[in-house]
Amino acid sequence: MKKKCFIAAATLLLLCACQQELPENIRSGLVYCAEGAPESFNPQRVTSGTTIDIVSQQLYDRLLDIDARNGDLLPGLAISWQRSTDGLTYDFNLRQDVAFHHTSYFTPSRPFNAEDVVFTFNRIMDPTHPYHFLGGGIYPYFQSVDWASLVESVSASSPYQVRFQLSRPDSSFLANLATDFAAILSAEYGAAMLTEGQPQWLDSRPIGTGPFRFKEYQKDVLVRLYRHNHYWQGQAAMEQLVFDIVPNNARRMAKLLTHECDIVAFPRLAELSLITERPDVKVQESTSMNVGFWAFNTQKPPFDQIKVRQALALAINQNAILQAVYFNQATAAKGVLPPTSWAFDAELPNAEYNPQQARALLAEAGLSQGFIMDIWAMPVQRLYNPNALKMAELIQADLAQIGVTANIISYEWNTFRRKLSEGEHDSVLIGWAADNADPDNFFRPLLSCAAADSGSNRAHWCDPVFDQLLHQALSTDDQQQRRAYYLAAQRYLHAAKPLVALAHSQRFQAINANVEGVSINPYGGIALFGARRVTP
Amino acid sequence: MIVFLLRRLFLLGTVLFGLSVFAFSLGYLFPGDPLQNFSGMRYIDSTLREQLILQYRLDQPYSAQYLAFLGRILQGDWGLSFASQQPLLKEIWQVLPATLELTAYALLLSFMLGVPLGILAAIKPEGTIGKSISGIALVGYSLPIFWWALLLIMFFSVTLGWLPSGGRLGVLYEVPTITGFMLLDILLSDVSYQHAALWDALRHLTLPTLVLATYPTTVMIRFVRDAMLDVWEQNYIKTAKAKGLNRVQVLYRHGLRNALLPVIRQIGLQFSALITLAMLTEVIFSWPGIGRWLIDSIYQRNFPAIQAGLMIISTLVITINMLTEILHTLFNPLARKY
Amino acid sequence: MAKFRLYLEENNRSPLAQLWREFARQHSALFGLVLFSSFLLLSLLAPLITPHDPYLQNDSLLLLPPSWSEQGLVQYPFGTDDLGRDLLSRMLKGSTYTFGLALLTVLASLLAGLALGALAGMSRGVKSSFFNHLLDLILTIPSLLLAIIIVAILGPGLENTAWAVILALLPQFVHGIRNAIAEQLKQDYVTAYRLDGANNWQVLTRLIIPNIWEKITVMSSMALSTAILDIAALGFLGLGAQAPTAEWGAMISDSLDIIYVAPVSVAVPGLLIFAAVLSVNLLGDGLKVAIQKRRES
Repeated sequence: MKKKCFIAAATLLLLCACQQELPENIRSGLVYCAEGAPESFNPQRVTSGTTIDIVSQQLYDRLLDIDARNGDLLPGLAISWQRSTDGLTYDFNLRQDVAFHHTSYFTPSRPFNAEDVVFTFNRIMDPTHPYHFLGGGIYPYFQSVDWASLVESVSASSPYQVRFQLSRPDSSFLANLATDFAAILSAEYGAAMLTEGQPQWLDSRPIGTGPFRFKEYQKDVLVRLYRHNHYWQGQAAMEQLVFDIVPNNARRMAKLLTHECDIVAFPRLAELSLITERPDVKVQESTSMNVGFWAFNTQKPPFDQIKVRQALALAINQNAILQAVYFNQATAAKGVLPPTSWAFDAELPNAEYNPQQARALLAEAGLSQGFIMDIWAMPVQRLYNPNALKMAELIQADLAQIGVTANIISYEWNTFRRKLSEGEHDSVLIGWAADNADPDNFFRPLLSCAAADSGSNRAHWCDPVFDQLLHQALSTDDQQQRRAYYLAAQRYLHAAKPLVALAHSQRFQAINANVEGVSINPYGGIALFGARRVTP
Repeated sequence: MIVFLLRRLFLLGTVLFGLSVFAFSLGYLFPGDPLQNFSGMRYIDSTLREQLILQYRLDQPYSAQYLAFLGRILQGDWGLSFASQQPLLKEIWQVLPATLELTAYALLLSFMLGVPLGILAAIKPEGTIGKSISGIALVGYSLPIFWWALLLIMFFSVTLGWLPSGGRLGVLYEVPTITGFMLLDILLSDVSYQHAALWDALRHLTLPTLVLATYPTTVMIRFVRDAMLDVWEQNYIKTAKAKGLNRVQVLYRHGLRNALLPVIRQIGLQFSALITLAMLTEVIFSWPGIGRWLIDSIYQRNFPAIQAGLMIISTLVITINMLTEILHTLFNPLARKY
Repeated sequence: MAKFRLYLEENNRSPLAQLWREFARQHSALFGLVLFSSFLLLSLLAPLITPHDPYLQNDSLLLLPPSWSEQGLVQYPFGTDDLGRDLLSRMLKGSTYTFGLALLTVLASLLAGLALGALAGMSRGVKSSFFNHLLDLILTIPSLLLAIIIVAILGPGLENTAWAVILALLPQFVHGIRNAIAEQLKQDYVTAYRLDGANNWQVLTRLIIPNIWEKITVMSSMALSTAILDIAALGFLGLGAQAPTAEWGAMISDSLDIIYVAPVSVAVPGLLIFAAVLSVNLLGDGLKVAIQKRRES
């Protein structure tokens, strides 16, 4: 055995003694350790931030972009746009000479034009579109904002002009075009895959106009992207970009410390102080528009009773959660909107912790004996909830105080989301990160009736009064008026409690000290276009 | 010998038959729709459903269903994975080589360390060396492997920063898959950074191999030591000693050959334990092998994949076991009696 | 009196006493016995001796360092985890799950194996030989793999883990007991007893069981170490005990998140699993050697 140790030690010494000069492809490559695998390579079909981080900003462009500083809209693939006075027609002038990716599996013959925009958006709303039903015809984000009934038609008025015809004025329309979900696909690639009889490749071997092009995806292992050399905004600094899929938090941390990863998504908050002490790693912090919440499946008894939901909300100790789960790196949530939003209602009362009253409410609801329920906890760390399982354990102990027995349930992330949209849960710990600066982004995708159908409404809550408020807020462009509607909506939510908002978290990113130019957008995914390695 | 071989083959056939019946029944035992469990398709519309029911003979008695199932298995149609909607057999061929590579190196290491150490321990079983070897073997035998792996990662990767903490190869190296065996693939590839990649792959291999080899090495030490001590008591050794051969000669000419014979048999028995431990090792070191794939499948409730994983691993283990037994019998006529 | 029995003394001791004598001669085996007994006691008494409720979350004492560091408290020797639960209490409680449950599963599996093994062992002929080879091959399927498949069917959870481990251990018991019985049946004294008119049941209970119990004990000790490792491994993989259950394997995977902040919470449960398995192995090895030596004397 001594011999064994000796041999082991000798091998180890040998392995690290002669560090070689790193080959070129390593020095010009960047590794991003992601917390989960992408569901699809088409952002239209997903809502998860994991997929958006990996796919959206890297592979695709949108018609509009969002200014990270103030949430204003910036030109993207559209250079300019006009809205008709009745608010029903939008005209976009498109950018010329934008090249699509040139890859081993597809060679584009023409640059981006209006045809691609029409192809992209018709796929979402036109059932006769050849790709509409690919993957089940589900476009969660667009369904949750009721896109199909809002947009009557998308048409190309000239090769570089597109017209959107709406059925009603919608003040969040432009903001929705700027979300990471509204990525522009290639119509030519779509047609080519149809003739080849491989339509599914459109979503699994993507072609876009973004700063990087797709190379390979090893399922649950890694995604490899290469630089798109003809990107219209110039070349990205890194030649290669690899997303290493590491769902385990501790392992992601280990990979950061061993420099196997250059950027680590969501470092554990508990370890932030450890990271900041090290000279070779730095932490980026930024405010982010998000909310972590506990949603009840209001279709299932006893959660269809307001009293039960109110009782459960009173039973949990929000402060303990902020401390133990968020390590005080978050603000306590009063409602779904974060305080940074212009429609935030500062008058909302703080969350209350009152087990006695909770028990009384349960008794009023005829459940004085308590009941058994499931808490579904996300298996991965997300921006809005760094550790749902820990949170579930805290809530489980709180609920025991009022006689409610809670079982904690968790599945692998993709399975979890699938089962969730099928409505199998009693309650779930999940959250939402904003995709644009419009407050509507927090309400309609989360709690509207349309979202209840598409599955992104985790509470499966559908209330006509509430929907009406949201609708009214969208039909005007006057911010003061919209704000009034949103304040009413927040108060309505506070009373009805389809979900308990818990916290608005800060976003953190741990980065190797020699990497620069990584920008975190408060409205959505990470952009690695400008990331580069600097030699110290 | 022929009779023996035929009997073994018959037995192998029976066990594989039993295994396939078990795998077939899993389609019904797993929660959910049997049709989905068999086909692996997530979305089955009504026309497809009818077509599949006909193809899988689900409207007929279980025996007919089983035959249809067996036919599909033999034709290589193992259904789709719930998670990726890719053919399962294709996925398995992608992950299996990684496991085989890791287990092969671990097995090799355990022989290279276990056999000499076992012999060393047997020379003077009550001496300091003998006792300490046995003691360390017992410790290694009792270590929970996942904890041991964590300790090594914490020490060698995180604290010292000498070795990578997981994976098969640095993700920035791009080596085309030809055989699925990483070292071989690197040697076969014509990338410019071949040397660096090979080096990197070796560094990635070190910790998982060490961890995985721990248990079989200790078993090997104990086994070789006991076998040696056993042989030492035999009359032919005493005769050899009486003839005046010295210790080393006795050991080499008579002891070793006879003591090492059962070691061949041991490979087969070890392989089963190795595969189990490899599953844990792969999970901890993010090694993209079949063990990690299977455990991910359980997290994903990917029932067709669990079924396929069971079949492929069990078949592998049983076949290797059978092969080593036959080999053992070839070398040792005494074992042929039954 | 003693004088006249001087040379006969050894043989006049009961087999059990002889065994103990051989066993007690080995220091390592004794050490194993002590360790084993303390784990046994612990798993029985854990609910009584934990200083704190292992599931009580103390909001004011999150991630308290162990008492040997400056910020630690004497009342919390190993500190607390990130939910403010006392680590020492959780580790003590864990012995009930990992060690106690393993013991129970081995007992259950042993009883079932005894029944099936006896049934198989008392029958003879081609059928029996075939059955034996069949078991041989089933045995080659790794027990953890078998347990994982069973958990996949039943769903994760501590109770299902127990069933899975029982089922996974069963083949080796049936196989071992069947072989031991078959060996005994060849003995002359069995034939003699049969000639006296004893039926199968009498042969089994009066002759065979007393003669194979030593083998069974050794077998059980090996099964026990497998059971502990399997339960902990399943817990570690998240397929066994679910949070917040203080099972050692599950505690390790739970604490992985805080491994850099509170390494104790990963180190100690692993050490406990190791010690428990080591105690069982020491005990088993000691017994094996003692049995062998007693036979020889």
